[in-house]
This record gives sequence, structure tokens and C-alpha cells, in this order.
Amino acid sequence: MKKVIAREALCLDCKLCEVFCRTAHSKSKDVVRAHLYEDPAPVARITVEGDILDSVAVNCRHCDDPACVNACITGAMHKDPETGIVSCDESRCIGCMTCLAVCPVGCIKPGRTAVKCDLCQETGEPACVKNCPNRALVYVEVGGDAQ
Amino acid sequence: MKQYAIVGASAAGLSCAKTLRTLDPDCEITLFTDEPFLPYSRPIISYYLKDKVQADQIYLQPSDFYTKHRIRVRTNTRVAAVQTGTLTTEGGETLKFDKILLATGSVPFVPPMENVGAQENVFTFLTMREAERLKAYAKPNMHAVIIGAGLIGLKAAEGLRPLVESVTVVELADKVLPSILDDEAAKTVRAHLDANGVETLLGDTVVRAEGEKTITAVTLKSGKTLPCDLLVLAVGVRPNTVLAERAGAEVNRGITVNRDTMETTVPGVFAAGDCVRSYDILDGQEKIIALWPNAVREGMTAAYNMAGQEHKDTGSFAVNAIDFFGLRICTCGLIRAEGATVLTREGEGFCKRLLVKDNRLVGFVLLNASERAGIYTALIQNKVDLNTLSGDLLDEPGLMLFSREVRTEKLTGGVRV
Ligand SMILES: Cc1cc2nc3c(=O)[nH]c(=O)nc-3n(C[C@H](O)[C@H](O)[C@H](O)COP(=O)(O)OP(=O)(O)OC[C@H]3O[C@@H](n4cnc5c(N)ncnc54)[C@H](O)[C@@H]3O)c2cc1C
Ligand code: SF4
Ligand code: SF4
Repeated sequence: MKKVIAREALCLDCKLCEVFCRTAHSKSKDVVRAHLYEDPAPVARITVEGDILDSVAVNCRHCDDPACVNACITGAMHKDPETGIVSCDESRCIGCMTCLAVCPVGCIKPGRTAVKCDLCQETGEPACVKNCPNRALVYVEVGGDAQ
Repeated sequence: MKQYAIVGASAAGLSCAKTLRTLDPDCEITLFTDEPFLPYSRPIISYYLKDKVQADQIYLQPSDFYTKHRIRVRTNTRVAAVQTGTLTTEGGETLKFDKILLATGSVPFVPPMENVGAQENVFTFLTMREAERLKAYAKPNMHAVIIGAGLIGLKAAEGLRPLVESVTVVELADKVLPSILDDEAAKTVRAHLDANGVETLLGDTVVRAEGEKTITAVTLKSGKTLPCDLLVLAVGVRPNTVLAERAGAEVNRGITVNRDTMETTVPGVFAAGDCVRSYDILDGQEKIIALWPNAVREGMTAAYNMAGQEHKDTGSFAVNAIDFFGLRICTCGLIRAEGATVLTREGEGFCKRLLVKDNRLVGFVLLNASERAGIYTALIQNKVDLNTLSGDLLDEPGLMLFSREVRTEKLTGGVRV
């Protein structure tokens, strides 16, 4: 499958990936409105860790053997057998955060339900990758158990 | 064509069935359950009780999943006995199977109490059936008493709170959630329960009930009497080992299994989930770890070995995330260990406690501070030497704790771009 791969050496700590992720997962899909006016405020599913000297953007690895899916106590977290995308069915999630407690890269955000990267399934190209000014994020085929 | 039988259609049973199907597209898989439902989420029953989840939303998989993957689920079918190669149902059918999994889970543990048992308003809180019965019985003017302030008792309390006049939890230990929390964290949780209308009485328990057909009051060890219109027994659970014992398998509290393969001492009969004695990789002890993720992993391991594929179980440790009235609790690993030090950080509305031993993280308790807790869990599971990390472990954890090489490996899985 295709995954988002971060190139740490190129990351500028500008956090635009967070901004555009939040916008892509907002109601209005508008940068300004998503940031200032929406309630509940949309949440970025990618996080830039570190500081200006050394930073890297972290989001879901859509693992081949996903710890979050194996631990989910309701069946809400699942891996699509065709696309390989790991996502949370928010209508069935009870927000217990067992998935968050076992994700080894720490990419699930707490909320009313678990919130995580869905690789922008609807548009086909992740907003973080599209909007990274320095190509520190790339969307590439990496193999794995779903093609 | 191989034939597999799985007794118990819950966390461990379903995960075994799903894994068997991916390993062998042709085999026949039959899941037996004495419950009337397709596999459902047991922890969800408290959400059903408080109406956050409806009766049709409890299922782990949509019903067409089972036809699509040719997994036969025999509901309302209790298994009476198993032996190497055969299984007998309570209805008297004897069926042949190549391999059998016991995923019979837990049963409620009920301590002896005077005049408690047959009354219509006594409940346990382990199954959807009991949750339905409880929901139908609870009325706004009722006083509910729950025995046991463990995970299940407190989840019952939270679910019942909006349905009745008062909820009182009686616990024999001197704190709430005694098996997962340290004293300080337990105090915080108790105060939060109190603020949300759940009273807890510690160091006390019910010794007797009044009422023949219906309980009207309970008397405590301390001599106190509480009005009681419904009583929930949630003292604890114990492994359901009946079938294993009948089969002559070794049982010592939980069913004894080969720690790598999940096979019991009866060849061809495997066991997984709450019913087995798991091997805790953190202290090397064998114990009952009655938690969902553990049951799922053991069910998978059993599937590989039932199908004859080499696959060693990675071993167990406790990891648990729950919330009560909006207070998030996340715990992992050991709560105490000899020679361990505790790192603590507390602030307005949150608390973090990390247990460190021999330079390894061996446990944590996080109250309203579970952000990126999975990083801590991975440190525990992989027994990472804390000297190889940089930064303050008590800060919100992240991949920046690791060296660049390790971090890049975690993020790219070795892919170079
Ligand atoms: C209210 C509640 C909340 C919980 N919350 C959490 C939580 O937040 N996190 C967590 O990790 N865990 C939680 N748990 C624990 C978790 O539900 C269990 O660890 C998990 O269900 C164990 O799965 P299992 O497959 O081993 O067994 P079980 O889920 O106990 O299932 C065993 C099944 O086998 C059936 N069975 C038994 N004997 C027979 C027989 N002879 N013939 C046919 N069928 C049989 C039983 O009826 C049952 O359906 C909670 C439990 C409860 C009750
Ligand atoms: S959320 Fe975490 S565990 Fe789940 S697939 Fe993504 S990286 Fe893997
Ligand atoms: S928070 Fe939702 S997705 Fe995560 S384990 Fe709980 S129910 Fe599953």
C-alpha cells in the first residue's frame, strides 16, 4: 500500500501539515474557518514533534499487524483488507482509548472518539503531503500486506 | 479439509476464527456460544445501559461477515464436553473436529452472603442478557447497591447512575479499583465518582440481604443497613474452566497452557483468553489477565498453532484504558514491583505515575494524561533501556525520546525515500 513517509532531514518545523490536516478534516474545509470558528474544533491527525533544530511529522503507519485494531474492544478500529487503511468507525467507537494506549508511535488523538489519520480516503491524496512546502512528506508505495 | 471448533464466541474465540480463516481459506470453522447473540463487545454493555449505544450497535462484526468468511456461529448452544478430536453439545450431539479451542472466558465470582441469590433483583454484570434485564428493571426511584469497586462494578455504577435514584458501591478493599490503581490515584478516582453521584463505601461488604422474592435492604459487615432495590454482584470474575476440567486438562486457577502455543495438556485442545493462566512478560509470573487485548492476542496465537504453523506467543502484560464520567484512566504493566522507583507528576486535574525498575519502565498509571500513552506501553513491552532515551520521561512522550536512527526505523519501517 501507499503510505506517508516523513523525511526528517527536510522537515522545517513549520507545522503546515497539521494546519492542512485539520482543514481537510473540518466541516467547512476552509483554513480560517476551521481554525477559528468551528465547534467542535477539528483535530489534526498528524503531529510535528521536536523543535526548530530537529523535527519530524508523525502520523499513523497503517501497520500490517496493527496493535490498535487488535486491542479495540468494540470492533470500531479496523483495517480495510483491500486498501490497507486503518480507520476508526466513529459511529461504533465508545472513546475508551485502548487503541491509543497501544499505538507504538503515539499517533491516536483522544476525543469523544478515537481520532486518527485516514490517509484522506475521500480525496485520494493526503492533505499533509500535498501541502508540505519542502517535500518532507511523501506518499509512496511501500509494499506491505495490502496493495 | 480441516475442521475447527471454538467454544466461546467473544474476544478470544472470534480472533481465533478470523485468524484461522486468513491462514486456511478452505477449512471449516464452527463457533459455539451459549449466549443468544452473535459475537458482541462485552465492555460495551455499560454504554448500552446508559443509552450511549443501542442494542443493534453492540456487535463486533456485521452479521454478513460470518457468511462471507464461512464462519458458522451456533448461538444458544452450550458445549457439555470436549476431548481430543470430539466435542459434545448439551443437546447431545457429538461432533468430530481436528482441533478445538476453549475460549470460555470468565464467570462471576460470588462470595457467600446470607439470603442472596434467587431474588428477582439480583444481577451480575458480565453479559448483554444481564444488562438488558438490569435496564428493564431499573426505575428512577430505586436505590442500587453494587458489591465490588473493580472495573466491572464501577462500569455498572456509571451505567446505572442516570437510571436510578442512588448508586452505592461497597468494596472490601481500602480503595477503588484496587487491582490497577495505587493509593493516591485511587483517591482521585473516588472523589470524582463522588462528585458524579456514586457513593463508595470502602473496607466493607454485604453480609446479608432482607426480602424473600425481592431484596429490600442489605446489611453490611460494619453493621450498617442500606435500602436496596437492586443489587449488582461485581466482586470479581474467575476463569471458566469447567470444560477443561472435564477433559482432564491441568487447571490451576486458570487453564494451564503451553506459553508459546496455547495448547492445553490435552493434545489438540487449545485455550485462550480470560479462562487461561497467562505468562506475564514483566515479572515472569503466571496469572489471570482478564483483559480484552490479551484475549485477542492469545486467540490469534492459538489459531496459528491449531493450523500447524509455527508461531510463538509474544507473552502477556496488562494494558487497560477506561473512563468514568469523563475521567480518563490508562494503566499498563505492574502497579508495584520490589526495588522499583516511582516517577510522579501531578497538576490540576491530571496525574502521571511511572514505575521504573532496573532502568526499564515496568508500569504506569495515567489519570487524564493518556496522550501518546502507547509510546510508554512500547517502552514497557520492548524493555527499552531508559539510558538510551533523551528528554524527560514525565513530559508527554513522543518519538523524540529515541535516537534519530531508531525513530526513522519506527516511522519508515526501513523504507528509504
Ligand atoms: C462490563 C465489563 C467491562 C469491561 N471493560 C473492559 C475494558 O475496558 N478493557 C478490557 O480490556 N477489558 C474489559 N473487560 C474484560 C473483557 O471483556 C474480557 O477480558 C474479555 O471479554 C475476555 O474475552 P474471552 O473471549 O476470553 O471471554 P468472554 O468474553 O468471557 O467470553 C466467553 C464466552 O464463552 C461462552 N461460553 C462459556 N462456556 C461455554 C460453553 N460450555 N458452551 C458454549 N459457550 C460457552 C460464554 O457464554 C461467553 O460468551 C470488561 C468486562 C466487562 C464485563
Ligand atoms: S494507529 Fe498506531 S498501531 Fe494503529 S495502524 Fe496506526 S501506527 Fe499502527
Ligand atoms: S477508542 Fe474507539 S477505536 Fe479505540 S479501542 Fe476504544 S472503541 Fe476501539
